[in-house]
Amino acid sequence: MKKNEAERDENRLEKLIKVQDMCKIYNPGENEVRALDHVNLEINRGEFVAIIGHSGSGKSTLMNMLGCLDVPTFGSYYLNGKDVSMMKDNQLSEIRNQEIGFIFQGFNLIANLNAMENVELPLIYRGIGRNERQRLAKEALTKVGLEKRIHHKPSEMSGGQQQRVAIARAIAAEPPVILADEPTGNLDSSSTQEIMEILKGLHNAGKSIILITHDNDIANQANRVVRILDGKIVEDYFCGQ
Amino acid sequence: MGNMMEYIKMAFKNIRANKGRSFLTMLGIIIGISSVIMVMSVGDGTANAMNSEVSDLGTGQIALYCSEDASNAEEWITPEDITAIEEKVKGVEGVTPGDGAAGTTSTGKGEFFLQLNGGTEIMQKAVNYDMKRGTYFTREDVEMGNRVCVITSSDAKRLFGSDDVVGMDIEATINNITNSYRIAGVTQQKENGGFVSYTYEGAPVALDVPYTSFESFGWESDSFYSVTLFADEKADSEEVVKDVVHLLETRHQCAGEEYYQVESFQDMVKELNDVLRIVTTFISCVAAISLIVGGIGVMNIMLVSVTERTREIGIRKSLGAKTSSILMQFLAEAAILTIVGGIIGIIVGLVGAVGACGLMSASMGSTIHPGIKASTILGATLFSCGIGVFFGIYPARKAAKLSPIEALRRN
Repeated sequence: MKKNEAERDENRLEKLIKVQDMCKIYNPGENEVRALDHVNLEINRGEFVAIIGHSGSGKSTLMNMLGCLDVPTFGSYYLNGKDVSMMKDNQLSEIRNQEIGFIFQGFNLIANLNAMENVELPLIYRGIGRNERQRLAKEALTKVGLEKRIHHKPSEMSGGQQQRVAIARAIAAEPPVILADEPTGNLDSSSTQEIMEILKGLHNAGKSIILITHDNDIANQANRVVRILDGKIVEDYFCGQ
Repeated sequence: MGNMMEYIKMAFKNIRANKGRSFLTMLGIIIGISSVIMVMSVGDGTANAMNSEVSDLGTGQIALYCSEDASNAEEWITPEDITAIEEKVKGVEGVTPGDGAAGTTSTGKGEFFLQLNGGTEIMQKAVNYDMKRGTYFTREDVEMGNRVCVITSSDAKRLFGSDDVVGMDIEATINNITNSYRIAGVTQQKENGGFVSYTYEGAPVALDVPYTSFESFGWESDSFYSVTLFADEKADSEEVVKDVVHLLETRHQCAGEEYYQVESFQDMVKELNDVLRIVTTFISCVAAISLIVGGIGVMNIMLVSVTERTREIGIRKSLGAKTSSILMQFLAEAAILTIVGGIIGIIVGLVGAVGACGLMSASMGSTIHPGIKASTILGATLFSCGIGVFFGIYPARKAAKLSPIEALRRN
């Protein structure tokens, strides 16, 4: 028995993400809504996974769970070997800070901070000193091609540039997972392609990326597609690149 | 706590981003702190000025008077009592009866009311005047009942247009009897004499005269309702009072009746100081209420700020800010608003106190220095920090407890 358990633990450690029987139920009782219904999902390191679904399909709920913004009602979630499903608020904050880089649809930059300061934010919460922080932030902004705009405020940049700042913020602290929630939803087609190229570049450099979208064309640029419908995973396939 | 500096920096950044609003928020605190400091400094300054003036007056001045029960003139104090006190009680420098008469005089400058203060030569110590010309009247003048007088420089100018009047006569009419008083000396008010002897337009001309000189107006100065004792500076005034009362009670055979009451000048000053302190405290309390109102203003604006910045809070939380980080950030903001407001308030208050004291000095003819105490400033600073933290806690907690999903969903 013990040997089996040990094997299982090892197995768990190998996977970047391991979701088992995850349920999220809103309004428990008569009018309960099962946003996630016994979801099982495993993602390896270095994968570029697109989670696709219509609005109301449960993909946003799944994204909240994977991003440790919320905890499931039932089921377990191992992120990078840590059981996240039972964690308290402050522990979740720490996990978000260290394990996940978020990219949002609405960019979610802080308006009165410039590009550099926005990128520095997660590093501040990680407790990294000023000089090291600025070095990392500059490096990340250079990776997304914004080294000339580090002192610009979000309002002085285009949508595509703002999203690139957000990507820099997500990668600056080198988290194991990059979680992008409709990153191109607010962008025109040329900016969309720009952002997708950056994400592909990050994937080729070995990053693990989870992309949430409702758009088949976007999803097909990933190398694995997980389709979700009514809180269940209905399709999970790899697409050649 | 290594991140505290970062939170403070964030807070400053945000305050600077909303300059106008931040200043208006601070204004409440500025007004509150500056008025507390101003009221307290002016109050202390006034008390200090009063006390220093009083100590100039000679410390051992004690008023002794007969109670209403002693309305019978038998118990009133006689010239013989005065002599006995001067001779027998140790530590008494002199005694003067408080006798007075009102009359009129006319000079080339017109008709004036006269206030004649009758006493002995020791009365010179009772007022805070320096001799400008001539001399005060003497013990001999008192014993002989000489009609000599001492006048203030300003009164002399009112009567004669000049204070070079030593040796001149003043015709005093009392009860239709007119006698002339020779001016022996002219006094001048000491520089900081504004509180104890305040003169006004139309006040009667005051003359200090030997109380025995009233005999020439046809009345006997043989008993007095009140006398003023002057104790030696070194003497214990309580001991002196006890001895004097005992002596008087023995002489009038009324021991235990408590006919003789005393009020030392210090008592009066103490009472005056108490009143002043009560007034200062009361006004400070009113000012402190404005401070609380200012604090509520800070809380209010912080609540608005939390609502406005819900999305920012969501972003920060999603990037790994803990509840405590958000709490510290917003608390730092509230504290900085009040501390900066407090510092400006201290400066405004000190400037205001100096200004107010200058105005008061000019209008009262005496010098009041604002009583600025480190404890007042320290207290005001601590109080403003306290207000910032106290009124910041509620909005900061509200911000910190937001769930990141909720916060991100809102615009």
